[in-house]
Amino acid sequence: MSAVAAKPQAGGAMNPTAMAVGVVMLLIILALCYFVSPGAGLMALVGVIVGGVLIGFGTHFVPVGGAPAAMGQAPGIATGVAMLAAGAGLAGLFGGAWAAEQGLVVATITGGVGGGLMMAITCMMVNFVYVFGMGIPAASGKVLNDPITGDSQKEFKSQGTEGHGLPFVSFVGGVIGGFLGGAGGTIIYLQLLTLYEATLPAVMSMRPEQVMPIAVAAAGIFAVGLFLVNAVLTAYNITGTIEGPHDPKFKRWPRAIVASAVASALCGFLAILIVAM
Amino acid sequence: MSVKIEVIEGGIPHQKIMIGGLVGTLVCLYLTYLNVLTNTEMFAFFGGLAMVIALIWGSHTIKVLCSYGIGTGVPSAGMIAFGSGVIAMVLATKPVFGMAAPIVATVLAALVGFILGYISNNILNMKIPAMVQALTEMAIVGALSLMGFAALMTGGFTFAGLTTGSVSMLGLSISSTANSFIGGALIAVAFLLGAIAIQHPFNATLGPGWKQDRMLMLTAECGFLSMIAAAFMSFALISMGAAIISLVVAIIGWAYTYNQYICLSKRDAAAWLDAKPIPEVEGH
Repeated sequence: MSAVAAKPQAGGAMNPTAMAVGVVMLLIILALCYFVSPGAGLMALVGVIVGGVLIGFGTHFVPVGGAPAAMGQAPGIATGVAMLAAGAGLAGLFGGAWAAEQGLVVATITGGVGGGLMMAITCMMVNFVYVFGMGIPAASGKVLNDPITGDSQKEFKSQGTEGHGLPFVSFVGGVIGGFLGGAGGTIIYLQLLTLYEATLPAVMSMRPEQVMPIAVAAAGIFAVGLFLVNAVLTAYNITGTIEGPHDPKFKRWPRAIVASAVASALCGFLAILIVAM
Repeated sequence: MSVKIEVIEGGIPHQKIMIGGLVGTLVCLYLTYLNVLTNTEMFAFFGGLAMVIALIWGSHTIKVLCSYGIGTGVPSAGMIAFGSGVIAMVLATKPVFGMAAPIVATVLAALVGFILGYISNNILNMKIPAMVQALTEMAIVGALSLMGFAALMTGGFTFAGLTTGSVSMLGLSISSTANSFIGGALIAVAFLLGAIAIQHPFNATLGPGWKQDRMLMLTAECGFLSMIAAAFMSFALISMGAAIISLVVAIIGWAYTYNQYICLSKRDAAAWLDAKPIPEVEGH
């Protein structure tokens, strides 16, 4: 069987049993966390789960084109989910980390704006390259009219392709996805940072200013790790490519919410155990 | 159910590579305990060798997983390996676990990887037969190769060793958390050095002309290249002599595997032309 014929595997169908098992796993991890560290630890874990779910949900908005997009045969940005989500998320994370001292709300919004800005610039430059470099117009293959502008797409779509370029709705989706991803990454970072700053001095028997580098670096690298895990799980959910919020694959998001919640809870619980044991 | 696109023909079976990789990595990690026994840092380079062996195993796991067109690209597999391994690795270095750190890291990472595999296969409905085992292996590879990087750069893998270093100032040695593997964020560099080295080989050699020995040799080459960079960074954390030993081992390993890889590439190529640099044309 050829590679093209073997492509579609993950259908849109939900697996209710597995979803239920996922929710049970989530509750078990929350209970374990309550048992190990009832106050600060549980709060941090809830924050990590919220952040992870935001990343998982936000990644669905990002127009990921993959290799076909690089050849102008499918709409979207011409790279994989892991690279795109990591780019937007890390840009947001850096933005949010700068504003970490100004409180959760300001830092989270700053992180979101950082991620959204990064996606906006990427989407614009991608369209520049598509239109002026490759000479192809932006056209969606999944809808007849752009849901936001109402522009007709069919006339601009080349035969034999699934569309090409980056239609307006994909651009908007990319910015929303970058915002949610950046905000989610920042929430994870802030929760772990607050927890580590509070508990590491006692664990390592050092002064608070001495543990700062450890707290910042550990929270940062764990946020990056959680970000990549959530982004790749979402990539598995959409089987690699998606056009944006108008794509039929977008309807699979409930699966990704459960998956991201369980994965973030698990990794977050291990990160909390580092200081709770 | 997805269809397997490529079939492994000939070569070493995956099971053997997995067992060899796991045992080899653990043995090399434990050999860095010679540092404690002999009270030196000369054996830090075993951490780098552990990392290279783990990467070789991991790249073959990626090959097994990505043979089922998962549609997300090969690099994502490397990213999830290290993303799921990093927290397990740091947790395993806690003083509670002591000598058992590499084994605890293996167990914790296997747990994380298994649950991620279950999530992908059942909740996200991927239904790929190799998924659960592959993600479990990848998480172990991510955790153990990060532990190898840690041993290479700091000479050990205890939580205290990873979080505190010493700065010598005016002849005095002052303990500092900023000058350490985690506090100095060297863990972030190690993360990406490993994540790129693990995903590149299959990404570069996949296709109808894929050959197992060529891919594994490229992995070893990428691993030693990462080890060179890590050995340079280890100058900041361990003694000069130990860092030079790591660097020499890394450079010798890289030079050998690079030469071997070029030979294997020439063997598998239809034809090759030894292109010379652009000649200087005189009198124009």
